[in-house]
Amino acid sequence: MLGQILVSGITAGAVYALVALGFVVLHRGTRIVHFGLGDQLTLSAYLVVIGQVYLDLPFAAAVALSLLLSAGFGVLVERAIMRPLRASPLLVMVIATLAIGAAIREGLRASMGPLPWPIPFLLTPAPFTLGGLVLVPANLAVVGVAAVVVLALFLALRFTRFGRAIVAVYENPTGAAIVGISVPAVHARLWGLASVLAAIAGIMVAPLITLSPDMGSIGIKGFAAAVLGGFNSLPGAIAGGVLLGVVETAAGVYISSAMKDVVSYALLIGCVLLLPHGLFGRAEARKV
Amino acid sequence: MPRALLLLALAGLVLLPFQAPSHITYLVALIGTTTVIVAGLAIVVGLAGQISIAQAGFAAIGAYGSAQLANWYGLPYWLGLPAAALVAALVGYLFGLLSLRVADHYLALTSMAFCAILQLLLVHLEDWTGGAVGLAVPPATLGGFTLDKPVQLYAFIMPCAVFATWLLNSLRHAKLGRAFAALRMSEVGAAAVGIPVLHHKALAFALSAFLGAWGGGLFALQTTYLDPAQFGILESVRLIAIAVIGGLLNPLGPAIGATIFVLLPEMMGGFGRYMTLVFSLALLACLVLAPAGLGGVVHRLWKRA
Repeated sequence: MLGQILVSGITAGAVYALVALGFVVLHRGTRIVHFGLGDQLTLSAYLVVIGQVYLDLPFAAAVALSLLLSAGFGVLVERAIMRPLRASPLLVMVIATLAIGAAIREGLRASMGPLPWPIPFLLTPAPFTLGGLVLVPANLAVVGVAAVVVLALFLALRFTRFGRAIVAVYENPTGAAIVGISVPAVHARLWGLASVLAAIAGIMVAPLITLSPDMGSIGIKGFAAAVLGGFNSLPGAIAGGVLLGVVETAAGVYISSAMKDVVSYALLIGCVLLLPHGLFGRAEARKV
Repeated sequence: MPRALLLLALAGLVLLPFQAPSHITYLVALIGTTTVIVAGLAIVVGLAGQISIAQAGFAAIGAYGSAQLANWYGLPYWLGLPAAALVAALVGYLFGLLSLRVADHYLALTSMAFCAILQLLLVHLEDWTGGAVGLAVPPATLGGFTLDKPVQLYAFIMPCAVFATWLLNSLRHAKLGRAFAALRMSEVGAAAVGIPVLHHKALAFALSAFLGAWGGGLFALQTTYLDPAQFGILESVRLIAIAVIGGLLNPLGPAIGATIFVLLPEMMGGFGRYMTLVFSLALLACLVLAPAGLGGVVHRLWKRA
């Protein structure tokens, strides 16, 4: 039983971890928590459906198109909305990101209809048994893809110019600007990167749950994972995601499946109150 | 705005139900209900500068609370509504106390999770709330009369809306409102001049929850049927949009925003399904181009003329 909970929990956790990474990647560089990221997840999954159904693209091409458009969307949001709001109070930026999410959700609802869409997946959802554990190939693929994406992200941050500029802005925006890194360009890059991470999560999670305009509410799970991980630590976001997935699955088994979501939201509130720096985050000095 | 114009508007509100068809009366009363809920949001977000994505949750407490007090104990609305609103205010105060430890994004997240939990409880505590199916609201009775016609509800709701607007306006110049404003400008600064920060944060949340629940109770009377889907995070975001588009610091802002959000979808007819999209985009445009809200725009035009 415990093993089964771990397996199912890690599948859910892998998706949460990707969403949480999206939040943290963006927040560390721009100080913005993007409340519409959950809805960008939905948008990207819909883009795959649109590519397949309306443009007759094969699955892989539709995914590639969706990732590309998602990245472009992120950059566009930064340029058109967040950059002009750069100097406004935090409250305004929070409301702006909420509005971005609402616009995506309602745009999808109006254009694609409120009903769920079928979205195909490459691997079969038929389960097989291995050593007493029920495993689903599609779920294993989710974990595998998430692991590869995370690895690629860390390698990119460490070894490419693209990534090192991001890390420099993370560490010290002023210093980065002095050595010739364009901070606004890095911000646009971070928006694109966060959007792509959300897109991958969205495309993977859509076949497992149902693809409807309201799928974006999974974004709150991503928040909870990011908060558990401290909101400023990338490895923390991953650990937080997996932890949340496991706790949630366990709550579904031992308490009731109806209370599963209540448990993860309560975990979010509890963690904010008792462990504001999460399990892995560092305390940050606050300027007054 | 000149006093004469306000008096004229008030006179219009009094005369309206005698002239207008009952559908219009219903719509204007709906504007009134929304104004009360959003006025609460204007206190906590506008005056005190604390982000709250929980206003729909507080409205739910008022709506479900007053309805169930009537269903279970036969408590009349003029008692049940204030009771539910007081409970909501207490919950709001406690929530505000928790907010000592959190600020900014974390406050937004916490209030969001709080609202989500309330909505999930509405769905899953079926014995108490009617669950996902919804809950029928018994009509209000007052001294043997049953308030169920749009005109009667109008007469009950509009004074509440006017009172909420008046409260918002007088709060700005009252000691409490100035303390809220200090909080918004700088918490450290407010503490330095001797304002008990935590107590005032909690008070702002309590006031906002009180008005939110009051408006929610009025809303329940109007719709006569409650659906948990009406009280989620999305609704909270819609309420924030109304507050921002109306103008966060304008005492007439909630009324302006509510008027736009209630009347426009009515007038657009077939474009109805695009309305929420249009509002979201309008909100973004408003933030980027006119951060003081439409109320602010009107105010500026007024000054210029």
